Amino acid sequence: MKLTIQRVSKQYRGGVQALRDFTLDLRPGVLGLLGPNGAGKTTLMSILATITRASEGSVTWNDTDVAKDPDALRTVLGYLPQDFGVYPNLNAVEFLEYLAAVKGLDAAAAKRRIDELLNLVNLADVRKRPLGGYSGGMKQRIGIAQALLNDPQLLIVDEPTAGLDPEERVRFRNLLSELSGERIIILSTHIVSDIEATATDIALISQGMLVVHARPEELLRRVEGKVWEGVFSSSDLSEVKKKYVISGTSRRSDGVHVRLVTGAIPTAAQPLAPTLEDAYLYCLAEHRAGAAA
Amino acid sequence: MNQGRVLYHLVVADFLERVRRYNFLVTLAAAVYLGYACYAGKVVIRLDEYRGVYNSAWLGCLMTLIATVFLSLIGFYIVKNSIQRDEETRVGQILATTPMTKTFYTLAKTISNFAVLAAMVAVMAVAAVAMQWMKGEVAHIDWWQLLSPFVLFALPAMAFTGALAVLFETLPVLRSGMGNVIYFFVWTALLSAPIGILDKAGPVNREAYFADFTGIVSVMGQMQQDLRRIDPGYKNGTALMIGDTQTSKRFLWNGLRGNSALYLSRVTCVLAALAIALLAAVFFHRFDPAREWVPRKRPAEVAANGERAIVATTSAAPSERHLTPLVRGPERGSFPRVVAAELRLMLKGHRWWWYVVAAGLFVASLFAPLSATHQGIAIVAAIWPVLVWSQMGTREKRWETSALIFSSERALWRQLPAVWLAGVIVAAITNGGLGIRLAVASDLSGLAAWTACILFIPSLALALGIWSGTSKTFEGVYTAWWYLGVANHLPGLDFLGTTSESVRPALYLGLAVLLVVAAFFGRRTQMAYA
Repeated sequence: MKLTIQRVSKQYRGGVQALRDFTLDLRPGVLGLLGPNGAGKTTLMSILATITRASEGSVTWNDTDVAKDPDALRTVLGYLPQDFGVYPNLNAVEFLEYLAAVKGLDAAAAKRRIDELLNLVNLADVRKRPLGGYSGGMKQRIGIAQALLNDPQLLIVDEPTAGLDPEERVRFRNLLSELSGERIIILSTHIVSDIEATATDIALISQGMLVVHARPEELLRRVEGKVWEGVFSSSDLSEVKKKYVISGTSRRSDGVHVRLVTGAIPTAAQPLAPTLEDAYLYCLAEHRAGAAA
Repeated sequence: MNQGRVLYHLVVADFLERVRRYNFLVTLAAAVYLGYACYAGKVVIRLDEYRGVYNSAWLGCLMTLIATVFLSLIGFYIVKNSIQRDEETRVGQILATTPMTKTFYTLAKTISNFAVLAAMVAVMAVAAVAMQWMKGEVAHIDWWQLLSPFVLFALPAMAFTGALAVLFETLPVLRSGMGNVIYFFVWTALLSAPIGILDKAGPVNREAYFADFTGIVSVMGQMQQDLRRIDPGYKNGTALMIGDTQTSKRFLWNGLRGNSALYLSRVTCVLAALAIALLAAVFFHRFDPAREWVPRKRPAEVAANGERAIVATTSAAPSERHLTPLVRGPERGSFPRVVAAELRLMLKGHRWWWYVVAAGLFVASLFAPLSATHQGIAIVAAIWPVLVWSQMGTREKRWETSALIFSSERALWRQLPAVWLAGVIVAAITNGGLGIRLAVASDLSGLAAWTACILFIPSLALALGIWSGTSKTFEGVYTAWWYLGVANHLPGLDFLGTTSESVRPALYLGLAVLLVVAAFFGRRTQMAYA
């Protein structure tokens, strides 16, 4: 099972370049897709989900070109878009039955699967309630359920935990970890803790380009010995922000405690253990500096 | 910031948001086409065998009437989405948190609607100038005669139409597709209201001026009066005609004669628009979901839902649940299941009385005399499911499910035909009584017309839905088509074949095929990969 993204570019009308020469080879596991707003994450996911056509390059699923045979991928695809709607007059069961039919699942298998999924996303109690009355978090859970309807081999989830309460977020993370064994999962999110909990690989994307593709441990190694905590006065803070990558600040009685990510050793700073957020900010800053140069 | 500036910015922002959309260009193109149709002689004002010499007075009034008559109908559907758009974009919720009053908002929306419609009127005015120049029957352009009818009639009519659109959007039932259907009949009533009041042999009377929001009777009444002076043999025939426009005689018309009733009636039209905008503020929900109208539920149902909601939000700490691998059965991908799913989706969400009437029409058409079925019940049955069909091809866009549907296997080849077939089934069921009767009577030509009808309606709905992206297009076009063709038995437009003179099964079968092909290619362009 493999998904190959080969030199994919996407240019929208009006000349906006959303993706540039993007290449990535994916095997079973959870890929955490990280990047700032407008980096091209959603465009990439739309292309992989056969919603948007790439301007250049190719996407192949088990060596089949998706542009030539999209159904080869669609049959095994589960997709949770960032923005999606539901039919307000249908209840959860009817909506999932509808999508199961559209996805080509047979009735008996669909029924069993829907029961199981509604339990999984904790909506079994409101299964007969019209979706129009669901809260944002409940709709998001319906979205998660529909993405898993056909037991997908490729699961693409775009900001899946947006709108979920902490309990549901933990439940979803656990679910992703459980599912990751024999399938490829692509998880796009701004919440680094979601990635920390589930991703086996991380792809960092900025300005439509792949900045880095590595395992979380490798990323953390990159910033090993580069994360510090220094104490500064409020008046010095703006100067510090210009000089270093800052991954966190907290005000205390002795000044502002600043978490710095830098290759140079700052004066009077204490070393800290790096987190993925530090690594993300460091790689992004390096990429921007490289692009500016 | 003073109130005037707030109003200005509200109107300008709304206006710019609309005119920068692709569909505004389409509507402008339609306005240009109307101008062209006029130039090509496809639309004329005809008084028996007469038409006016194409001088500034005649062309100004002709183009004004085309603008007021067509834009007061089509324009309504174009602008009836300004509040809905604020809801969909969530801008409305932001506006609701500002000190802006409801009156201010509905007034701003009315002015914005007016601005959009006035832009189209302006295109028609430019077309009038171009037309006089190109026709060359009278070289001298009298700017007052050419343009004053636009100011006097078209602009107040557009203000009235824009205000009605806002009122419809604020009223619970009228804001839906039902409102789009109802507006057609409101428009027909408004258009024909002054005709009944008009004194056909004399000058235009005061009441007719005031009842005439489009100006059609005011203008044509004066034309008739002037022609009677020139030709006493004139038999008072008058029409704004499309298509059959051959006239053998021309007369020189020197333009409108202003009078107090005319001017006052136009001011009244603007004041009526203002009053409607203010009335709309009474019903406007200010984006408060708690004030939005929802069908009433039985107390038990409400209570049950409430309890369920609590259950759903007070779960214990996250427990581990596991998914068993999906075992796919042998009948995977069966088309009938998708059709059944689409049919359920189509028929869900209507009030109980909708089903009762649909069932009543079916039963009545089964047992009533065949002539009564053909001339009455079947006609009603052909309009009853209009809001069911109008969702075809637009549902994915309206409810933002296209990413879910279009990423599914064989969406183009399985889901789209299923939508169409579900629409055909709805048509066949609601008009099923007539079909059964025709089959039993072995009326093959009737059966052919019936078959063409049930294939044509969903095909039209699907094609218009996919290409326009909104249910309003079908609701407006189909209602007008049904009214002219089926209800009034107009040959060529009668897709149901209600009379032996108006039946055209081959035409509608052919149209159905073309529309299905158009729908297919439309959907194909919506999808990245077909």
